[in-house]
Amino acid sequence: MTIARPASATVLLPADFTTVVTEAGMIVHGRVIHTSSALTGPQRAIESLVTVQVIEALKGSPSAGANVTFCVPNGQVGRYRRVVVGAPEFAQGDEVVVFLRVRGPAIPTLFGLSQGVYRVTRDAAARAIVTPAPVTAQGPGAERVVRGDSARRPMPVEAFVRQVHTILETR
Amino acid sequence: MRSVLLAIVAVGLFSQPASAYLHFRANDDGQSIVLKWQRMPLRWFARDRGVPGVAASDFQAAMSRAFATWQAVPTASISFQFAGFTGAEPFTDDGVSVLGFQDEPGMDRVLGATAFLIDVVTGEIIESDIFFNTAFLWSTAAAGTASRFDLESVAVHEIGHFLGLGHSALGETEVHADGDRRVLASGAVMFPISLGPGVTRDRELQPDDIAGVSDLYPGGGFRGETGVARGRVTRSGAGVLGAHVAAFNPETGQVIAAFTLNQSGEFEIVGLTPGPHVIRVEPLDDADLDSFFDARDPIDIAFRVTLHDRLFVAPSGGVGERFTVSVQPK
Repeated sequence: MTIARPASATVLLPADFTTVVTEAGMIVHGRVIHTSSALTGPQRAIESLVTVQVIEALKGSPSAGANVTFCVPNGQVGRYRRVVVGAPEFAQGDEVVVFLRVRGPAIPTLFGLSQGVYRVTRDAAARAIVTPAPVTAQGPGAERVVRGDSARRPMPVEAFVRQVHTILETR
Repeated sequence: MRSVLLAIVAVGLFSQPASAYLHFRANDDGQSIVLKWQRMPLRWFARDRGVPGVAASDFQAAMSRAFATWQAVPTASISFQFAGFTGAEPFTDDGVSVLGFQDEPGMDRVLGATAFLIDVVTGEIIESDIFFNTAFLWSTAAAGTASRFDLESVAVHEIGHFLGLGHSALGETEVHADGDRRVLASGAVMFPISLGPGVTRDRELQPDDIAGVSDLYPGGGFRGETGVARGRVTRSGAGVLGAHVAAFNPETGQVIAAFTLNQSGEFEIVGLTPGPHVIRVEPLDDADLDSFFDARDPIDIAFRVTLHDRLFVAPSGGVGERFTVSVQPK
């Protein structure tokens, strides 16, 4: 059974993109090569480990080709499925840029659940694009975010990576 | 809040909602199961743990008020029962539904969240837990407390999930040069972004929330007295997945919305007050798609906002005339 979920169950404090970049301990562009679920931890809850093969590390030490594993609080063990609405789900083959919170020896987690993952897809010309692109202000003042704004388009992954590097260099 | 929303609508820029539910689809036989509770009352436990400023008894009282808010919806048939305090943590898969404070260092920037444990063979919900993040300061004061998050408001949102509702996209935000993003207005408690500390507005349900829960647990003449809009959103003749479709009633000012949830671009908006509605379709290009959908699906966000070229008239009971909205690429 798979979820066709239009759903998520969280109340989020939105993190601006700069905060996501600067507070994440590791940022990785890669492809999911493995997922597994298990009943883990002192809380006896189903969690999943997601392993990504690194295409490029934007922050942190992993090199291209290395594997990075992080934990998400959902998954399925046998006939029992745990859904934390708001926690992204991953499958083998997904191409993503993930922003990870790293705390000592613990397995990394996504920064702010769904705020810590950007999906990479292919457009009609087979270019790798990040969609939706981060919402950022264009000018010095407050700007209302208008859906359907023609200026807001999927961002080529190269431009997304440059944006991350620019933030890291100016901080 | 309503006046703010109406002003937004008046200039044709209203943001939208979604009386969206958690839908499950079986792999083996393609059967679709809506995630909802089969038996009432829904029993819940409160964790016997307080945090600075909120004792465990205050917590239980705030949760009871939040449950009562949903139970008071006249067009829905739901009931809850407080089963007592427990030492168990909320996010434990133990077969009982627990609400409480919990340390969740892996969920920074998450005020609260709801988890389900589901038997995928039967589709039955085994339990649903709600945690409130101890990393934040909380308040149960009647008028709220500046610099603290209103526990009851967040609980009302999470209990909406507990009942099976997904997120609404009925809200509008602004972004600042420093990257900060704030909510300007929201048209549903189920909008996923916090209104901020000290704000208590989300203690009160809005039409989109009421329509969503009434559709899941209909009662009080809901089906017979409200109308349903069904249709498709297409682009170059093909269905659009993930489009946000809102129905605005100019007479009442109410906005209720839904998403297109399949590859055919079909949508259904329930709970409409009989009468004419303006239909608006927009892409969800400003949101975390993972917060609304399975973002691995081909959600289309690259089209223009489109108003349907005629008014939709909701009947008093039943489904109105089907229609198709054709959108153009950006």
